[in-house]
Amino acid sequence: MSAFSPAGLLALSGGLLAIGLFGILTRRNFILLLISVEIAINAAVLNFVYFAAFSGSASALSGQAIAVVLIGLAATEVAVGLAIVLALNRLRGSINVAEANALKS
Amino acid sequence: MNLLDFLPELLLLAGALLVFLLDVLGVKRLEVFGGIAAAVTALGELVVIGDLGYAPLHALSTIPASAIDQPLGPTLYAFTSLGLVFQAIFLLTAFLVALASLSRPSHEPGAAVFFGLLLLATLGMLLVAVASDLIFLLLAIEVTSLSTYLLVAYPRKEPRPVEAAMKFFIIGALSTALSFFGASLLFGAYGGTSFYALGAATGYVGYPYLATVGYALLIAGLGFKVTAVPFHAWAVDVYDGAPDDVSAFLAGGSKKMGVFAFFLVFLGPLLLAERMPSALPSGFGPSLQITLGVLAVLTMTVGNLLALRQKEMKRMLAYSSISQAGYMLIGVAVGTGPAIAGATFQVFAHLFMKTGAFLVVGAAASIGVGPLIDDWRGLGNRRPSLGVPFALMLLSLAGIPLTVGFVSKFVLFSAAVQAQGYFVWLAVAGLLNSALSVFYYARVLKVMFLEPSPASAGVGATGSGRFGGIGAGRAGAILLATVAIVALGIYPGPVISGIQLAATHFLQIGA
Amino acid sequence: MIYEELAFLLIAAVAIVTALNALLVRELVHTILWVAIFFIDLAALYFLLLAPFLGVLELGVYAGAVTILLLFGVMVTRKRIFSREAATGIGPAPVALAGLSLAFVLLGTEELPQSGSVVHSYDPALLSAQLFNADGPWLILLGLAMLSALAGAIYLVREGRE
Repeated sequence: MSAFSPAGLLALSGGLLAIGLFGILTRRNFILLLISVEIAINAAVLNFVYFAAFSGSASALSGQAIAVVLIGLAATEVAVGLAIVLALNRLRGSINVAEANALKS
Repeated sequence: MNLLDFLPELLLLAGALLVFLLDVLGVKRLEVFGGIAAAVTALGELVVIGDLGYAPLHALSTIPASAIDQPLGPTLYAFTSLGLVFQAIFLLTAFLVALASLSRPSHEPGAAVFFGLLLLATLGMLLVAVASDLIFLLLAIEVTSLSTYLLVAYPRKEPRPVEAAMKFFIIGALSTALSFFGASLLFGAYGGTSFYALGAATGYVGYPYLATVGYALLIAGLGFKVTAVPFHAWAVDVYDGAPDDVSAFLAGGSKKMGVFAFFLVFLGPLLLAERMPSALPSGFGPSLQITLGVLAVLTMTVGNLLALRQKEMKRMLAYSSISQAGYMLIGVAVGTGPAIAGATFQVFAHLFMKTGAFLVVGAAASIGVGPLIDDWRGLGNRRPSLGVPFALMLLSLAGIPLTVGFVSKFVLFSAAVQAQGYFVWLAVAGLLNSALSVFYYARVLKVMFLEPSPASAGVGATGSGRFGGIGAGRAGAILLATVAIVALGIYPGPVISGIQLAATHFLQIGA
Repeated sequence: MIYEELAFLLIAAVAIVTALNALLVRELVHTILWVAIFFIDLAALYFLLLAPFLGVLELGVYAGAVTILLLFGVMVTRKRIFSREAATGIGPAPVALAGLSLAFVLLGTEELPQSGSVVHSYDPALLSAQLFNADGPWLILLGLAMLSALAGAIYLVREGRE
């Protein structure tokens, strides 16, 4: 048993989501983009964990289960992202999104 | 849980695993993999049609009729007839694409991966169609997304597709993060993630403001999937950079998946919110409808205006695909039975029109026609076997009578008019946009049929061999789409009444 | 109870600072270090929230596997390990958008209890029962996603003869 302020926790996850969005919108390096996405997904995981912890009902376990699945999913996304990075690196020798210009914008 | 209820899904999974296994065992023939993919999607299609209650295929049906269209409960998945209709659409798209891809070069390396991922992506779509839980839905979308990122990068030695895959991946990951964050807020607001719990049917009234923010984030997250403006910018580059067959699959399949996700996520809560007004902030339903209506109008207008300015065929088709998504969103915004039926029929029609059009573009590319619209000069006269189907598809996209595109727009817009109020304006916007879209479709028709062939288009460039160098599979897929466009344009009755019945049932599961 | 609130404030501050630093430092390898600290910090928060299983998972999957993967990605794709992120001018629009979304979520804190909510502990065995029985379909879907990721990623990075 311990006590927390749900409002504070939601503020933290909201902040992390904002940082993730900020990174996705401003960074150019693909690795940094991946990290931004991970930060944003972690904010969602955090939400699930503490909403589960506060509700204290049967749904609590569901929230934890979602968090477990979500962590696995995010790791899968990193793997796919890195595969694309490696393929692109072999073709271009650079993974800066700004330098990828075979497609007209 | 009866495993046999998931027969189409299991067929696709078995097909994918078989393809991967054969690849490891050293069977490196594209025809084998493509044959397996086409066979399991066709078989799955028959099973789904049987499940929908089509009498001649009843022997194939595996879901008991009593399990379909049950009232929503706190389950992870549920079978609805509208979901089955969408499953049929997804399977048909996958079948057409698999059939057309049979005509790729026979010893293409990685063919097993192409068809395996195609089957897995379709599997994810089928699971979206049975979801009755937000997390189940988002995870199923993720199965499709991950497969399609990799499908786009399939020609891994060419920069353009891999760059398109990178763009697709970044946008997709952003949409995943937004959707799951929205879902987590809804989980906090209602203490559960099933659509039953989200409708506050459990009697638990949570935090209305959290719910509103959650739904807003879901609109953004799912908006990326349906390419709703302002979340559309990625689509054109991805459709343009991806291999033609994959573009056909994305436009015909994964966008439709987003449309059904919109149905599930936004109609359920709206319906239940009417019953349980305290579960959501006051005025939530109307403002959600207005938001979706604005999205629909923005999407079709921006898509059409940008399509007008395109010089390349695939980019023009991609923008027209965005504007078509706008028409489908009308159905979500209006939310009545006829409107849902109209949007579903529009999805069904779009499958033949847009998937078919991308397949024709692929066929044209395979006989040496360039990417620019001007490269298609005189193609209609030079190669009527390509020009005529393409012309029919474009006419159908523009909504000319006697094609399926006319019927679907008629059903959809008349449903919006029926719903009264400001929904009439949605129909007006749709009509104006249809008129606008005629310009760029007509320009292509003019280029294809009224302008002389470029001097460089010699005999060699027009292809040779059986089926004019296009390949039997691709020719068959194009023929199938063309026949469907005309047949459904002339005699749409049975399909429409079936879809309308499914839409009516869909509205009742929430009640 | 005051200790837990202090611990939370500390963890939250570290999380925000490390996440921001990870995106703003110029050296890519430093980014990986910051992000590793960020993941460890989140794991600590899960322990504090009486969700030890998730804490361990966060440590194993994120602080361990994902960090190493990212480091690997940086090393393979960059000739010089300590190369810099191209300097980009941060336009006002993205910052405004991110700030707006933050404000949007923060407004939601108004209706939540401001303090003193009880956190419930639970038996990890019950979690596994939930994960493998009632919520089994989620795991199946995750497995399908991983299958397609595996097949596609191997194909994409394999050095093939063509």
